[in-house]
Amino acid sequence: VLAVHSVYFTDCPMPTVRVIRPGDAGKPDPFTICVISNPALESPWKSSQFQADPITNDEAGFDLCVRFVEQALFGLLPEQAEPFLSDPGIAPGVRLVSLFVSGLEAGDVNSLVAEDGVSDLLIARRARFRPFLERYGLIADVAYAISQSDSHTRPSAWPATDDDSGPGAAFTMDGATFHHRHRCIVPGTVAQHIASVPLTALHEFGHALSSYSNGLIVDLYEDGPPAVNNRHGRPIPERFAVYDGIALASDRKRDGLGYPTGWRSFHCELNDPSFPALMDNYWLAHDGIPEHCQHDVVTRRFLLDRVRAKLAR
Amino acid sequence: MEPLKPETRARILDENPQAAPEDIDEYERLLAERFATDPELPPSPEAERRESRLAELYRKLFPQGHGWLSHASPRAR
Repeated sequence: VLAVHSVYFTDCPMPTVRVIRPGDAGKPDPFTICVISNPALESPWKSSQFQADPITNDEAGFDLCVRFVEQALFGLLPEQAEPFLSDPGIAPGVRLVSLFVSGLEAGDVNSLVAEDGVSDLLIARRARFRPFLERYGLIADVAYAISQSDSHTRPSAWPATDDDSGPGAAFTMDGATFHHRHRCIVPGTVAQHIASVPLTALHEFGHALSSYSNGLIVDLYEDGPPAVNNRHGRPIPERFAVYDGIALASDRKRDGLGYPTGWRSFHCELNDPSFPALMDNYWLAHDGIPEHCQHDVVTRRFLLDRVRAKLAR
Repeated sequence: MEPLKPETRARILDENPQAAPEDIDEYERLLAERFATDPELPPSPEAERRESRLAELYRKLFPQGHGWLSHASPRAR
């Protein structure tokens, strides 16, 4: 923790804002990641029925979870192979803020997480994040809401909705031009359980930092749709894609896991071919240590380029 | 979406003889598809079919509910 700063508001009971990493203090809106204690759960999702989230009574547990999120994003977990935001050209510019708040009414405007009605997924109520954070003077590029749901424990994430009317850094993917936008309309959002394995915060960040209009990062453990990190075709070609003028090879073996019969998907070359990609099923790491998994080549480049573009705004 | 642990997948099949591996594959694929679709777009017939099918598969895979599942315990792995 580089700095701790608490702010108390009179209109909301007991909020605590902690600046875990200050980021580029010279900028009015540095690239910012927020981690929030979810005040209220919608259960089930889209029901408009709300209840207080038990995490509102566990500030110490929330603070520990924030620490794990920070460690995962900055490559600081024990055994972690993926360095991600630890790049010395990136880390000092990233602002990380936590917000713990309790005592709010369990209603629509205070509910950032829903319990899915057809799974054990926690689902971020993405449209609520921005107005909620604005009440505390915060703007996020990516935001986590941490829940202590009794029944739903599986994290999930939504990519961001970019502000495509604003500036950004152009890039090409297989000849088509896209932009790493400086700002978003809806931030990337993650719903995570307080007891989730810390590495999952890094996996979900991969989704949440990506964009519906400028490139999705999808799960690689399913035969998913075409995306920045997923292509369709058989036989699998040697070349995965050309990203910003750089030809990237395909992962023709899927890191030793193999592509199931009938799949159309294939993935990009790996930074460490002996372990599954971080967006793939990291529970299947051959040594049983998911923290040994790293992003594949295109995923890491795309995500870090996106961070650099936002740092430069 | 956090990947399904192999032991969780095995337990779903052990506890529900009516469930097949293909059911879990389809269920997981449909769940993942949700997040790859911009939720700000108007609901499409395809999305409605997906949610309907997810509900069917949920009842098949978890006839007693999913209370025994835990994705949240491995911090002390």
